[in-house]
This record gives sequence, structure tokens and C-alpha cells, in this order.
Amino acid sequence: MTNKFQNQQQLKNASNAALASILNLTLLPVIGFIALYSIYKKTKPHNIDHYHAVLGMKINIIAAIVLLLVTALMILLGGFDSPWTWVYVISYFTIVHTTFIMIALWVLVRSWSGDKLFNDA
Amino acid sequence: MKYESQGIAKMYFIAAIGLFVGQILFGVTMGLQYVWGDFLFPAIPFNVARMVHTNLLIVWLLFGFMGSAYFLVPEESERELYAPWLAKIMFWIFLVAGALTILGYLLVPYATLAEMTMNNLLPTMGREFLEQPTITKIGIVIVALAFLFNIGMTILTGKKTVITLVLLTGLAGLAVFFLFSFYVPDNLVLDKYFWWFVVHLWVEGVWELILASFLAYVLIKVTGVDREVIEKWLYIIIAMALISGLVGTGHHFFWIGTPDYWQWLGSIFSALEPIPFFMMTLFAFNVVNKRRRDHANKAAVLWALGTAVMAFLGAGVWGFLHTLAPVNYYTHGTQITAAHGHMAFYGAYVMVVLTMISYSMPIMRGQKAANVKAQALEMWSFWLMTVSMVFITLFLTGAGILQVYLQRYSEAPLPFMVVQDKIAIFYWLRELAGLVFLIGLLLYIYSFFAKGKEVGNIEAIAS
Amino acid sequence: MRETFTKGMARNIYYGGGVFFFLVLIGLTVDTVSGISKTDNRENLTEQVIAGKYLWETNDCIGCHSLLGEGAYFAPELGNVYTRFGKSTEAIKGFIKSRPKNGIPGRRSMPQFNFTDEELEQIAQFLKYTDGIKTARDWPPNVQG
Repeated sequence: MTNKFQNQQQLKNASNAALASILNLTLLPVIGFIALYSIYKKTKPHNIDHYHAVLGMKINIIAAIVLLLVTALMILLGGFDSPWTWVYVISYFTIVHTTFIMIALWVLVRSWSGDKLFNDA
Repeated sequence: MKYESQGIAKMYFIAAIGLFVGQILFGVTMGLQYVWGDFLFPAIPFNVARMVHTNLLIVWLLFGFMGSAYFLVPEESERELYAPWLAKIMFWIFLVAGALTILGYLLVPYATLAEMTMNNLLPTMGREFLEQPTITKIGIVIVALAFLFNIGMTILTGKKTVITLVLLTGLAGLAVFFLFSFYVPDNLVLDKYFWWFVVHLWVEGVWELILASFLAYVLIKVTGVDREVIEKWLYIIIAMALISGLVGTGHHFFWIGTPDYWQWLGSIFSALEPIPFFMMTLFAFNVVNKRRRDHANKAAVLWALGTAVMAFLGAGVWGFLHTLAPVNYYTHGTQITAAHGHMAFYGAYVMVVLTMISYSMPIMRGQKAANVKAQALEMWSFWLMTVSMVFITLFLTGAGILQVYLQRYSEAPLPFMVVQDKIAIFYWLRELAGLVFLIGLLLYIYSFFAKGKEVGNIEAIAS
Repeated sequence: MRETFTKGMARNIYYGGGVFFFLVLIGLTVDTVSGISKTDNRENLTEQVIAGKYLWETNDCIGCHSLLGEGAYFAPELGNVYTRFGKSTEAIKGFIKSRPKNGIPGRRSMPQFNFTDEELEQIAQFLKYTDGIKTARDWPPNVQG
């Protein structure tokens, strides 16, 4: 249970981190990540805000790899001028991107209630 | 069930589900006609099957909306329905008129139907989704007004809540904007422009109000979260829906001979249209996370969350995918549009009606929630239908991308029918996914009859 | 932040935003309706074209075809079919007239509508008029529709 150690500032940091994570995934790529990193710098280990800053960065790094790297590979291997490349790239990117947004949304909601992604057993 | 007249919803829901089955049967028929061109030709040509498919969808969603309103409004207003008898009469009028119209589509050529119903006196037939004979349209208006009167009087003479007032606004808008279906100018550009005042302002306008109020109602019931919190969310969601959606109509005015400024206005405002759906997901996630109780009806919670997520995916993401004018230049009127249409209608409106049915049907049958086995089956049907709809959308998107490339984007564009042959594999896959959807739907119906261990009447308090 | 944002404010945004943008839409509609005379090809909106539009509607052509991108996607776009058929109303009429009554085995086929010559001419004229509507960027992107 981390709840009793939380204070308002940590809760605020946690939800800001989760928000920055979503922004990085949607409207403000890169800028969102910089914001996320600066929140991370302000936090201390074992606190909820630290947890959400780290989780946000993890989600975004994985998303970057899974989205950008795989998409780049698809284009490289499939060829820029092949219609089939774009069938795969657009379908893949849309579905996987949305999945990450959905995960980040749930994380945001968890950060609002001061919870981790999963309840501690 | 707190008020006896809420029970009227049941007949509306049964009719809705019955017509839903019809819709899907014609859907898989059309899907097959895409790859087996002369299937049922000339008895049921594609256009007839499509008319039945889309019109059944609209009619059963309207049945679903009305049933949901009849269930929701008495409880929220804390009084019996103003005129239960009127609701019952209108049910039969609407059902008979709907059935006759569908039979008309199937039994006589459309031109003959137009002649039989004296379309020439007030021509309104033959526009997409608004194919109904004029007499049917007049019937729809009468039913809608009677319904609106009934619901409106119940709300206005009872306790007014944010949910019922938003619902009433949405339903009034639905009735008002339908009136544009009677305006069919000879000038094609004007015709198209005002056609969207029904179609767009319904599904990307007032229907979103109806959707959001149903969702808010179910979420209050199943999560026990404070009404104040939910009402604030409801307001802000529908505010964003109208702020983005009204001028967002402009994304339909790119290529129909309307002024160029729509390219900018339509692109910018419709790019905002995912926001209300995004917030709806955030809202649903938030209140479920903060729930005060674990409701016995887990299936209803699943449908509610599913609605939020799939509406965002279908209406928000797949809408955004082709809404910017430079993209839409290539994708307009291709299978991309079909992909978006399928997932948006399912994710937003089909699922919200099924959410309302899932929540209310057990109550109308004298239970708090369906039995354990029935709920398990219902959740299976949720996943079968939802996942197969995701695949239908993906396959149509694949078909659409190839179509755009080969027919529109390529240096040497190929003719439409040549391209259709090249993308047939996607149509076969779509048909397969459609059959899985049908299985899911049949399982859904079976779940109402499944017997099993009753769920406890006491709600577990969330930890 | 969410504590200071009250339900009353949310309600005001809803009513204010809804009414404001509805008025904007009405304003834009007035402007559009008065502005389209330059693009909507109304000078060619003859009695024949109007009759053709009526036939287009009462035979539910939109149930298979798209017209300026709207409709069904089962059969070719017809907003530019006049251009695609070599700017020939005769070619359009010939195509409609020649559809086999029982379809083409295994293939999609347009039904045989048994139009009179007068009706065929009306439909062809309607499609010619539609082709004359000045769409932005001359949509569709190419002759294939």
C-alpha cells in the first residue's frame, strides 16, 4: 500500500506524468516525452509519481519501438511503392497506436485515483 | 423495476433484436454478392439488399433508442410514463410500417414501389439511407412526435435530471433534423448539402447526445459513482460533440460543388470530432475505476466499457483516418468509408443499445442481473461480435487502401471493376468475419434463454 | 483543476458552444447556398435533367453506385461517367440498355431496367449535368472515378 504516503503534490505529479504520456502518444510527440522526463526528475523512488513517470516512459519507449521501428521495417522490406506495404503499415499502425492510447488512458485514470496500473496483491 | 411502465421497453427491445438479425442476414448476403456477383440476382439485387441492410439498422436502432428511453425516463423522472398506451400503439404502428416497407423493397422493384406509394406527389425516395417511401417517412414523423410527446411530458412533469434533459434534447434534434428528408431539391449540390443535415447531424450530432446520456445512466447504475461527477462529464462530452460536430459537417462538403472554405473548416473541425469519443472513453474508464460497488451485472459493465472504446475506435480513430481534405481527396467514397461506417455504427450506436438492453432486460424479467451462465454467454457474444467487427473493419480498410492506390493514386489508374477483382481476397475475409459476427449475434440471442445459477442479490462492495 | 471546474461551467460550455456553433453552421449554410451558383452547373439544369434525377432516385441507383463519392461502393462512381465514356451520352445509354436481364454468371451486373428511349436520354442528361458540377480540385482524382 502506497496510499498513506501520498501527498497532493505526488498525486499531481503522477497525473501530470500520465497526461504527458498520452500527449506524447497523440498530439505532442517528443515534447510530451520531454515533459514526462522532467516530471520524472522531480520524483523520488517508491512514490506513486515516480511509478507513473517510469510507467509512462516505458509505455512510450515500447510504443516508439513497436510503432516506428516495425513500421520502418515494413516499409523497408515491402518497398515504398508497393500498395501492399501501405495496407500493412496503415492497418498495423492504426490498430497498435490506438491500443497504446487505450492503455495510456487507463493508466491516466489509475493515476487520478493514486493507484498503480495493477493493484498490489 | 421501480415503475411498471418501464416494462414497455421490453417489446421494443425484442423487436430491435429481431430486426438486428434481419440486418445481419442481409449484411452477409451483400458481403457474398461482393465476391459472387450474381448471387440471388436478379431476385435480390445488391441495391435492394443494401437498402434492407441499412434501413433495418436505422429502424432497429430507433426501436432501441425508444425502448431505452421508455425504460430510463420513468426511473429518472420518478413517475410512470405519461401515456403507456400511446407507447404501445406506436410500437405496433412503427413495427407494421417498418415491416411493410422492407417487404416493399423485397417484393416489388423500387420504381414500382415509388409508383404504388405515389412518390411523385412529394418525391423523397431514392436517397441513401432515406430510401423509405414518403408515406413511411410521414409515419416515422408521426411515431417520433408521439414518442417525443410521451417522453417529453414524462420528463417535464417529473423530476428533471441532466440525463433526461440531454436525452430530450437529443431526441428532439433527431425528430427535427429528420424533417430535412422531405426536402429534395432538383439542384444536386443543394440536394447533397441538405441530405447531410439528416445523416451527419444525426450520427455525428444529436445521436451522440442520446448515446452519452444512455451511457451515463448505465454507468451511474452499475458503478454507484456520484451523479454530480457523471453529470459534469456528460455535459463536457456532449459540449465537445456539438462544438466539433456541427461545423464538422463540413467534411462532407469537400467534393460536392460547395465552396472551397469547407476544405479548411471541415478538416479542422472534424479533426476535433474524436475528442468527445476520447473523453467518453476516459469518462467510462474513470467511473469504472472509481466504482463504489461491483454490480452483479458484469455483462452490462462490459458492454458499457466496450461502447466507449469501440466508439472511439470506430467513430474517432477511423473517422480521423480519412477526414482531412487532402486524404479524403483520395479516399472519398471507397471501401475506407465502408470500413469507418461499419465500426462507427457498431461501436457507438449498436453497442450502446445493447448496453441498455443488457442492463435493463434482466430487471424487466424480475432479476437484478442475468444468471451466471447467461452472462458468460452474453460476454462471449460480446467478444465474438466486437472482434469480428474489428476484423471486418480491418479487411475493408485493407481493401480500401489497395483500391485507393490502384484506382486513384497510381500513375496508371485502373478501372473500378478491375480493381474490385484485385481486392477480392479482402471481401472473402470480410465475409468470413461477417459470418462470425452472425454466430456471435445468435449466441447473444441464445443467452436470454440460458438457464444457470442465479447471481446473488447483494452487491459486493468494491475493495 | 477538476475541483475548480464545476458542473455549471460544463453546462454553460454545452449550451453556449452548442448554440454558437449551430448559428455558425446556419451562417455558413446561407453563404454556401448563395455562393454555389458559380459551381453547381444550374445553367444546365433542364427539365430533362430534372426528370433524369427523378429516375435516378426512383430506381435507387445510389444503392450500388456512388455519385460524387456518396452512395454505395459496389459499382463505379458516376459523377464523372460522362467524361469516362468519352463525353458521349450515347455510350451511357448504350451501356444501360445492354445489361442482360439475368445478369452475368459469377459477376456483378447492373439490372435491366427496361427504360424507354426518352427515359434513357433523361438519365444520360442527368449524368452529363452532374459531370458539369465544378467540384473542388476537380474531384474525382482521375477519369476512373
